Amino acid sequence: MEQIRKISKTLVVNWKGYIFGLGLTVLCTLIGRLLILFFAPANVIMVFLLCVTVTAIFWGLGPSIFVSVLSVLAFDFFLVPPYFTFAVADTQYIFTFTVLLLVGIVISYLTAKIQEQTKESKQQERETAILYSLSRNLNVTAGLDDTLKTITRGIHETFGCNTLILLSDSLNSEKFISQRENQSFTIDEGELKSAVLSIQNQETTGQKPDMLQYKKARYVPLKTSRGMIGIMVLQSLDTPKDWTAEQTRLLKVFAGLAAVAIEHIQLAEKAKNAQILEATEKLQTALLNSISHDLRTPLVSVIGVLSSLQEKDISLDDEAKRNLIQVAREEAERLNHLITNLLDVSRVESGTIKMSRQLFDVQDLVGTALEQMGGRARTHQININVPIELPLVFVDFGLIVQTLVNVLDNAQKYSPADSPIDIKARQTGHEVYIEIADHGVGIPSQDLLHVFDKFYRIQRPDNVAGTGLGLSICKGIVEAHDGKITAENRTGGGTVIRLVLPVSDPSKSAEEKADA
Amino acid sequence: MPNERVLVVDDEQPIRRFLRVALTSQAYTVIEVGLGQEALSIVASQKPDIIILDLGLPDMDGIEVTRLLREWTKIPIIILSVRGSERDKIAALDAGADDYLIKPFGVGELLARLRVAIRRSLQKGNEPIFANSNLIVDLSKRLVTISGQEVQLTPNEYDLLRVLVNDAGKVLTHRHLLRAVWGAEYGDESHMLHVNISNLRRKIESDPSRPQLIITEPGVGYRLKTE
Repeated sequence: MEQIRKISKTLVVNWKGYIFGLGLTVLCTLIGRLLILFFAPANVIMVFLLCVTVTAIFWGLGPSIFVSVLSVLAFDFFLVPPYFTFAVADTQYIFTFTVLLLVGIVISYLTAKIQEQTKESKQQERETAILYSLSRNLNVTAGLDDTLKTITRGIHETFGCNTLILLSDSLNSEKFISQRENQSFTIDEGELKSAVLSIQNQETTGQKPDMLQYKKARYVPLKTSRGMIGIMVLQSLDTPKDWTAEQTRLLKVFAGLAAVAIEHIQLAEKAKNAQILEATEKLQTALLNSISHDLRTPLVSVIGVLSSLQEKDISLDDEAKRNLIQVAREEAERLNHLITNLLDVSRVESGTIKMSRQLFDVQDLVGTALEQMGGRARTHQININVPIELPLVFVDFGLIVQTLVNVLDNAQKYSPADSPIDIKARQTGHEVYIEIADHGVGIPSQDLLHVFDKFYRIQRPDNVAGTGLGLSICKGIVEAHDGKITAENRTGGGTVIRLVLPVSDPSKSAEEKADA
Repeated sequence: MPNERVLVVDDEQPIRRFLRVALTSQAYTVIEVGLGQEALSIVASQKPDIIILDLGLPDMDGIEVTRLLREWTKIPIIILSVRGSERDKIAALDAGADDYLIKPFGVGELLARLRVAIRRSLQKGNEPIFANSNLIVDLSKRLVTISGQEVQLTPNEYDLLRVLVNDAGKVLTHRHLLRAVWGAEYGDESHMLHVNISNLRRKIESDPSRPQLIITEPGVGYRLKTE
């Protein structure tokens, strides 16, 4: 049926082809008139066959059939005696006419068919190229937004339409995802709603949802094997034209590819979220285990000491009592320090630390850190070397003091009592380096990079208490200051922790203003 | 031995209990309340000598209590709080509190702050001479000596020291010090303050990196130690 309709359409439309055919036939007749002087009429027919073939190649089926008929008539009228009349002297020419007509029609049909096929395969090649480029682009997208943008761009290039992609989770809530590139997109809300409804209806009633063509836009369902995942709304840039069957088909393939790509990304994101959730849960479990152990350990000492002091049957001299009380006090302080660190870890992680940065003296930072360590700092000899000419650093005082306390705490814990701890500061360019060096056991080289990871603790036989939080907090704080913190081993044994902190704008040197 | 009356405002029973034991052992008389409203009426009716005030009271914020008290009385107020942020400290000091201790704290530290605050409140006018360890500051002669040796200070360093001496023992916020020494328009130029404090420490402290006289209150301000 369609074939016939197509043929009849081409028959009517190609009026230029008929004029061309007419002209060509006239030319052939003139040439034939010349040739008939030298050749037999049967040979002159070849000229007309050539004429039919040429017409078929350039103008297709209709004109070439027209030329076939015309050729027979012209041949009869001008080249077969008696000339200038349709009457035929020799009846064998009836046969010639018939064959000429049939051959002409066959040639016309075959040539037209070949033309058609060439056109189709060219079209297919183009479509393949478009789809290939789309699927290649979709393969390299990162994230849903990127995928949607790629689809939108592909449709824009191929169909010259603006596109809006509505994913099914936003269909229900009537919230629509629109792409940034489509600011010019004007949605007819009523039309959109009815289109969405009718596509959803089709889906729920088990029909295959199909493309809808409304006044302002086309609505294409995005389907995958799991069902409908969204709707694509296409709006022509210029005045909407009727689409060819090929374009419609291509759009459907396009929609299929897009749907699969979107679903793929959505599933991948779901999987990723699940993974993150799992990691978070693992971390929380680790945290809980670590914390409940570390919180309880100091309490063991505190409760132990207090209960022995309370016990009437235990008699203690003053010296023993003082010792016990000292232990309880130190453990309680440790507990307090641990809780401070835990609170800080959650503040650093949630990003709720509000920094109030000012210019501060490194010497003041170090002094305050030592002051806050109180009794814990007294076990070691601490050498401080902060040059007078060192510029101020632009930091949050409390946070950097806390960092120094954590680092000094480690130095104190992991190096033998009475060994010196050196605190050195120096300027390098627009940065100040603060180095805290101990004479302790050092850090195994494979652990150097990991000591700043959360809950990372180096396995040691001496079993020093700790949560593996201190240095990770330090890292969080220093990096929030655009600074750096590194660990390295000292030649001759021990660890060096280096803080690199920014000096503020040197042109605003405070030294100049000090006595202004 | 002191015999001052201390009003303890805290809603936590255990804390009130141990404060009572510690304070009575030092011969202070202790009045305990658990609410801000109670504290306000007791200060008016019983006129205690000093208040130890928790910030997190069930009925109202301790900073609000401080502000209301400061409308009519100069009674020394020492804040005790688990809130350790600089913002909270500055807010309390700006509202008129004399000192700020973060829970948990050592009783020794609390008693020392208590003594300083009471002594300051008993002073009639400013003492012209301040002395602590080797440092002697004679404001009437504009003379600063360390172990009898005169110390040369720049005008700004001297002004800074004078302001600290006048409120010795009290935490003075960065902004307060800047305004008092450089003027109101310098309230935010804190780096000038930090540089001058460092220079001052180099001149009067025996070990400037572990100061014993000018104490840093992290992120809040400075305090001149009185004992």
